[in-house]
Amino acid sequence: MGDPRVPVKSPLVPVVWALGSAALAYLLMGETEMPVLEVGVWAILLAEASLVSLPASSGNRLSLAFAVSGALPFVLVSVDGTVDLAAAGAASAMGLLGTWMFRTLRSDPAEEVMAAVLRHGFGVAAYLVVFTGTVSLADSLSIPAGNVDWVRLTAFAVAASLWFLIETSLWASMVYGRNRLSRRYLWLLAAKDWAVVLSLLTTGALFGFAWGELGFWAIVIAGIPYGFAHLSFFRSQESRRTYGQTIRALSRIPEVAGLSPKGHSDRTSGMAMEVGQDLGMTPDEVTDLQYSALMHDIGRITLNEPSILKMGFTDEDIARWGAEIVAEAPYLSHVATLVRQQHQPYRRPGEERDLELPMASKIIKATSAYDHATMELGFSPLEALEVLHRGAAYDFDPDVVQAVRRVLERRGVVPA
Amino acid sequence: MHGAKRRKIQIGGVYALLGVVVLAALILLQKFPPLTLWLAFATAFAFLEWRSVEVNDRMLMSPTVMVALTAAVAFGPDTAALGVATMAALGAFSADDFRHRRWFQPIANFGQMVVTAGVSVYILEWFLKQAPKPETGNTFWVWIAAGSAVAATVYALINYTFVTVAVRTVFEKRDLRPWSNLGQLLPSYLLMGFVGGLLGATYTVLPVVLPLVFVVFIVGYLSFASYGHLREAHEATLRGFIKALEAKDLYTRGHTERVAFFAQLVGEEMGFNGTRLERLRWAALIHDVGKLAVPRDLIRKKGKLTEVEYEELQVHAHVVEEILAEVEFLRPMVEIASSHHSHYDGGGYGGVGHNHGEQPSPEACILAVADAFDAMTSTRSYRMALSQDYAFSELRRNSGSQFDPEVVEALVRALARTTERYGSPHLASEEEARRLAEGSQVISHG
Repeated sequence: MGDPRVPVKSPLVPVVWALGSAALAYLLMGETEMPVLEVGVWAILLAEASLVSLPASSGNRLSLAFAVSGALPFVLVSVDGTVDLAAAGAASAMGLLGTWMFRTLRSDPAEEVMAAVLRHGFGVAAYLVVFTGTVSLADSLSIPAGNVDWVRLTAFAVAASLWFLIETSLWASMVYGRNRLSRRYLWLLAAKDWAVVLSLLTTGALFGFAWGELGFWAIVIAGIPYGFAHLSFFRSQESRRTYGQTIRALSRIPEVAGLSPKGHSDRTSGMAMEVGQDLGMTPDEVTDLQYSALMHDIGRITLNEPSILKMGFTDEDIARWGAEIVAEAPYLSHVATLVRQQHQPYRRPGEERDLELPMASKIIKATSAYDHATMELGFSPLEALEVLHRGAAYDFDPDVVQAVRRVLERRGVVPA
Repeated sequence: MHGAKRRKIQIGGVYALLGVVVLAALILLQKFPPLTLWLAFATAFAFLEWRSVEVNDRMLMSPTVMVALTAAVAFGPDTAALGVATMAALGAFSADDFRHRRWFQPIANFGQMVVTAGVSVYILEWFLKQAPKPETGNTFWVWIAAGSAVAATVYALINYTFVTVAVRTVFEKRDLRPWSNLGQLLPSYLLMGFVGGLLGATYTVLPVVLPLVFVVFIVGYLSFASYGHLREAHEATLRGFIKALEAKDLYTRGHTERVAFFAQLVGEEMGFNGTRLERLRWAALIHDVGKLAVPRDLIRKKGKLTEVEYEELQVHAHVVEEILAEVEFLRPMVEIASSHHSHYDGGGYGGVGHNHGEQPSPEACILAVADAFDAMTSTRSYRMALSQDYAFSELRRNSGSQFDPEVVEALVRALARTTERYGSPHLASEEEARRLAEGSQVISHG
């Protein structure tokens, strides 16, 4: 997945934003009973933490700043025990300003930094307000004083869920702004990060609860969920990468054996993924689509047998042989079904369209045909698209053809 | 087979008896912890125990020890050992064992886990009683940390001893992969135990963090599960393509699996363990993948290949190996696999990065012997399977030149121990085997 980027219209935007948040922080500082020094320390911690990020499976980079912000309403409390909203707000505003400065100094891409800071700003504002709101709601319901910690835990759960929703929705719409992928796809992709967000926020809450009671040991305790998250997400990212590499390497075997055109499966799979994302498939479906597109020609390794070449074969046979090979790996049984059906027409003469046929198979059929037309028959993209349009009666699903057109327009190879 | 069953009954009986004794002693000595708290921890413990994933040696961690020690500190002295031991007793009966109608594992595990949990937590209780009040700050935390570290060490030691004794007596295996090395095991147990103790202590100071503690368990579990699942996926993908290779060529069917088995036997015999053994096995599994891109008539050609054909075969194999080497985790295995045709004395055909006159790695030598042994003791298109004794004498005749003598002897020793015999019982000459194969060809064609 690519990095999330939103286009920034003018270089003045960050400057205006920085001045705004500094002014906001100044105003909020007037309201708080906290010493400026303490608020400042939290702001610096927040900015520092934003430099430590975990790669989430969606491609969104979630940083330790989530944990620090999550702890703010626990640690910044007034004398009477209520959340010092002004102090927490000021610390967040200054912290985000620092984040923006630090990350710009680290020469992260400007628009990415802005996007991250804006998302975090909205999210943390909602989190703080809802947290405080839930606590005061419980106060007005006159809950016994002994339960104050449980009220805070509930407030944390409610506010943190809301924050997660805001973060994922904003991330999805920001990425949508750049890539024009299906919103459903992006949102589901972002929602898969729940484990990372959960562990980061738990780190914050554990720290928040423990800070007052345990002092230094709170850092050790709070480090536990973060440590797990760190280990597991870096490791699983690495494993996912090798999994993809394995499939890609194996998909190239028919190509090096001279049995299928060079780079065909790679190009087909790249385009198929974009089409699938455009059509609003779920992230898991897109992954299956990617793998089956990579392996759609694996059946061709059978083609170096003289007997088979003598007998002749159809595309149907290639699909069947490929599916038989892929089906040997139990994890890929799903992919095998998609590979098997890759050459079915979406509709046969005189019949209704085949509703059983998976979308992924239809996408592979169309994108593979497009690659064949452009790379081997020497057609221009427009001519190749024309081939797909002409085949839309039976072979290629018109919805898929439309999506292919949109992808090509976005790539800029076909006029919009 | 009968002996194994008798030994299973003995070990299972002794372990279960020990478990019952420990449990009875704890029931007499201690009170039961608060039921809801016990239920919550018992659920987490059973969940982690039942869904334990096989993790590679490099990352040996058991999240259950964390849950056990968190629960122990949370229950507090005079209830902890009984509480955790009963949790462990419950955790031993996994649904998986019942589904597979295994009776030995649950019974042995019951005894083993009750003793492990009971004894280690009983030691932890001593620390809990010595520890000052939480208000003292650092002193309290240092006592907890020390106690849980000691308890985790005891937990690992007892657990290791019980499992090793059981596996050695029942399955007569000297090397037991995930458990092969206590040195690798201990640090992770220490860390997890330490973490568990601290979480439990946080609960005693701040009961409100209990839900967060369970979130930590979930995140911990996810951290193990993701790793285990993807590792299985790697192996499944590899296997799928090995089967693809075999589908192309009937005569290699089962060949890779058998070579992997022999390679592993020899590796264990030569004292490999952990990652190194696993790497050897995977290298054996992919050692023939190069053939995927080779024309079938070349693979199945009867008799010797011409010089040109041999060149062609190597070029194809080479290209596939280079592709596989692009997969990071396969690179060391591809290196082993691609040099399995090179000779011990430095001659023969070398693979990627092989120089003539260089002695191949021990792994490549093992693979060469395993490959040659299986080639001789299995039926090929051009000759019938030869006998095991013939294969041994052939290997010995060429040891020192083509094969590593140490590896050849290790194979002979390892196979003598399994008492299994490979190859045909009597065929002891190459010529006869070829003639028989041609004979059968004539019959099948006629």
